Amino acid sequence: MFDLIIIGASAAGVSAAMYAKRRNIHFLIISENIGGEVATSGEIENYLGFTHTDGIELSGKFKEQLKYHGIEVKEGNVEIIEQRDNFFIIQGKQNGSSLELETKVVLIATGVHPRELSVTGEKEFRNKGLSYCTVCDGPLFKDKIVATIGGGNSGLESVLMLAQIASQCYLIQLGERLKGDEVLIEKVKNSPKIQIIYNARTKEIFGDTFVRGIRYEDTKSGGIKEIRVDGIFVHIGMVPNSSFIDLVEKNEFKEIKVNSLCQTSVPGIFAAGDVTDIPYKQISIAAGQGACAALAVVDYLNKLRV
Amino acid sequence: MTKSITIYSTPTCVYCRAAKDFFKEHNITYTEYNVAADSERVKEMVEKSGQMGVPVIVITDEDGKEEVVIGFNKPKLEELLSIA
Repeated sequence: MFDLIIIGASAAGVSAAMYAKRRNIHFLIISENIGGEVATSGEIENYLGFTHTDGIELSGKFKEQLKYHGIEVKEGNVEIIEQRDNFFIIQGKQNGSSLELETKVVLIATGVHPRELSVTGEKEFRNKGLSYCTVCDGPLFKDKIVATIGGGNSGLESVLMLAQIASQCYLIQLGERLKGDEVLIEKVKNSPKIQIIYNARTKEIFGDTFVRGIRYEDTKSGGIKEIRVDGIFVHIGMVPNSSFIDLVEKNEFKEIKVNSLCQTSVPGIFAAGDVTDIPYKQISIAAGQGACAALAVVDYLNKLRV
Repeated sequence: MTKSITIYSTPTCVYCRAAKDFFKEHNITYTEYNVAADSERVKEMVEKSGQMGVPVIVITDEDGKEEVVIGFNKPKLEELLSIA
């Protein structure tokens, strides 16, 4: 039986793992990948200690640090957490085969994933011109016409990156105003390659073998309009990866509720990072919460032993 | 049996980097096409894989038969390259 199983290996999970290792806890860290959403981020200029880095470089640093501490991340997927009297059973898959592990404490650091539009054609055209990661797939659309859906910071960064690559860019915003940082909004408005479409509710992604265009509702006039594009990048927010666990209390956004010690509503289950109800989702905050959670786990385990 | 490996990638794709690290780890030589810079290779990649996500890894055996792996599918690559 493990003392602790950490689920997720991005900022929160890796931070927690390091602290757990240095406290000699018998633990395991399991994750689908190392880096999560950090790895697919673009430029990062506000992470402590790094004047300028990017998602690939920073998640690479996480890997280096894990290696330095002799921590191996088990590659796998957790599907179920069951509670017994004084321990938990974790069930999942690793390389197609089943996995079952026992642990006294669980730390959930599973982060978030991109929200889908939930419109016709979205599933059909995924990877056929529709993407949720501009950093990953943007470069394939050199000299093409593209659209970014979403006017928050991710969307603004997306369209600014695409303006360097594509021949023409649209930014499609549901409401009347763009929502991100002023600095980015200014850059977008000043770019001759970017056309902003406000009050647009995406209705359909259409095409043949690949994407050909977007149909949207003009929410002011009520009419349906169409634009022809070769590529679509969806950046409409993030959804917590919390559907695999029902034991703990979540808020209306399905984020796991935690207190200042990263404890959830169930003794023995902790959570850290973007999957929690912390209102600000930042790498720095996730790293901090991971460290806090690990130390709180140590105290919890020590009390169990008494 | 020597198979030849080709990877279609972009410089900012983290799974492409993971695939290349995997090849290096196992001393596997590969040819890399940067599809961000080469639109002909984009077409080629799209024809072979039917989609536009990177990485696309093509493993060709001595007879010229091609196996296309979409994304960094580690178990599939291990199977095709006979890695334990």
